[in-house]
Amino acid sequence: MRKFFVLLIALMVVFVLGVQKLNVSTWGFNLDLLDKNITKPFLEKYGIQIERELGNNSVRLSKLITQKDNPVIDVVHFADYFAMLAVKNGLLQPIDVSKLSNYKDIYDFAKDPIGGNYAIGYTVYSMGIVYRTDKIKRAITSWKDFWSKDVAGRISLPDITTTQGPVMMMHFNKIFAGNAYDPELKAAFQKVAELKKNVVTFYKTSSELINLFKMGEVWMAPVTRFSWGQFLETGLPLAWVVPEEGMLGFTNVLCIVKGAKNLDGAYKYIDFLISYEVQLAEAMDLVDSPVNVKVKVPPEIAEKLTYGEEHIKSLVFYDIKFIVENYDKWISKWNELIAQ
Amino acid sequence: MIFFLLPLLAMFAESVYQPTKGWVVHRYLEFFRQRLSRTVYVRSLLMGFSVTFVALLIGYPAAMAVVSVKNDSLRSLLMTLLVFPLMTNPVARTFSWHAVLGREGLINNLLLTLKFTDSPVRLLYTRGAVFIGLLQLFLPLMVISLTSALENLPKDVPLAARSLGASAFNLFTRIYLPLTSEGIVTGCTLVFTGCITAYVTPAVLGGSRVLMLSTLLYQKASITLDWTMATVIAVIMFLSTVAVNTLSRAISTIGVKK
Repeated sequence: MRKFFVLLIALMVVFVLGVQKLNVSTWGFNLDLLDKNITKPFLEKYGIQIERELGNNSVRLSKLITQKDNPVIDVVHFADYFAMLAVKNGLLQPIDVSKLSNYKDIYDFAKDPIGGNYAIGYTVYSMGIVYRTDKIKRAITSWKDFWSKDVAGRISLPDITTTQGPVMMMHFNKIFAGNAYDPELKAAFQKVAELKKNVVTFYKTSSELINLFKMGEVWMAPVTRFSWGQFLETGLPLAWVVPEEGMLGFTNVLCIVKGAKNLDGAYKYIDFLISYEVQLAEAMDLVDSPVNVKVKVPPEIAEKLTYGEEHIKSLVFYDIKFIVENYDKWISKWNELIAQ
Repeated sequence: MIFFLLPLLAMFAESVYQPTKGWVVHRYLEFFRQRLSRTVYVRSLLMGFSVTFVALLIGYPAAMAVVSVKNDSLRSLLMTLLVFPLMTNPVARTFSWHAVLGREGLINNLLLTLKFTDSPVRLLYTRGAVFIGLLQLFLPLMVISLTSALENLPKDVPLAARSLGASAFNLFTRIYLPLTSEGIVTGCTLVFTGCITAYVTPAVLGGSRVLMLSTLLYQKASITLDWTMATVIAVIMFLSTVAVNTLSRAISTIGVKK
């Protein structure tokens, strides 16, 4: 009986004081580390319990669309492209950056990555070129090396339906026609058409690509930095190239849902995620590369992250809005070109 | 029945009329007007037909062999082995095909050692690879359907036919085929529907080059969020499989009446 009363009183205390909840929509990766680096310290600091809803970008965006009139989620993590789609569907509200005490400490490219202050970049990753140094004896230095005869039939490129695909195509258009913002991407499509026979496959996931490297099927491909650690684990003789035309830069972003019930908590969460402490902890655990310029990590950690002055300086970012506006057309063109 | 029909009706309704967009029937026309969707549609159907046909061709003798085994424990062992591919993870199973079909894989090594070819042949990311992957995946369904049909066949009927002087050919076409037609139709239905709707196999073994209805649907639903077109494709897939299955059932009943 006494136990029952103790429990009842405890429940009442919780009810009256109310442990605040914050609903966060995010990916289902590294959950243990997220609990250690974010959930637990966040609860201790602000008394707010983070409740996560998990899924890939498109599934979570679909959920936001169906919940539009009565949103459940307060803060959402997206790849920049999906954040832009969410803006297009009227699902987000602009972020008042004056409420973020750590805003001044993040890279400029993370401050307003999709425009209109609809998103804050909280992590960055690059896409460079990775190749087998035992099979390709010369140094790879340029994106144009994909068109060399000595790698023909041994290369893979990301499919246009991946997050990186359309950005790569814009970069190709820049390299071959001097302009990334061609709505038709004429030069890029023409060059990829030339290359079509020499591409083993247009990969859709980094795990698929790692597998192709392991089997010796592919010797050279554009690779995202967040999967570089797994490439190194294969034990193959591999080199990471920063091409002379620059690497592609991508951010993952945080957004506040329009009509979020816990707006105050949402701002605290975003500020917390770009804070020095959290950015450092996440970097040291190799979860995410930091955008907070104050974060310093040792070399053995840095080589697996998108980190360091040289590395960051070489990043090229393109306007996501341009991709969203033209993506349907590009995908159809790609299907016509590749799948016929 | 309600739980089965309601989602289907909802899907169909959604592909025709949407509260926010009004009538969207024109999206069906749009689908068939595009050269690419037509190619993908025909490719998917042909893939379904060819896999089903070959599965039947291989599956029938295999099922007869299984049924002819008298030893019970040996037979159940065979059945377990048959079902085994269905129990492995589809992603793992498909990736193991990479090890077989890759340029440094089993088949190419064999071809190279036997001097059938000077340089490795591209087998992965072709229609052939998708075909083989689907065949391995769905052949067990065919064999299982046929095995149960053959087991239900009265043992004395073939014997009687034999004793009345039926040739092996006649025995097969006039006794076995009509009496197991139910199993054949079931097997074909399962294999064909499976082929049309399979996603992992065409995605991993075919890649972007071998776009199929299921991979196109995924593209529309998850990448461009064009749900109307995704629903249209889903309805087209559903109606096509229903049509093909009704047709095969009709053909089999004609065969029985004779």
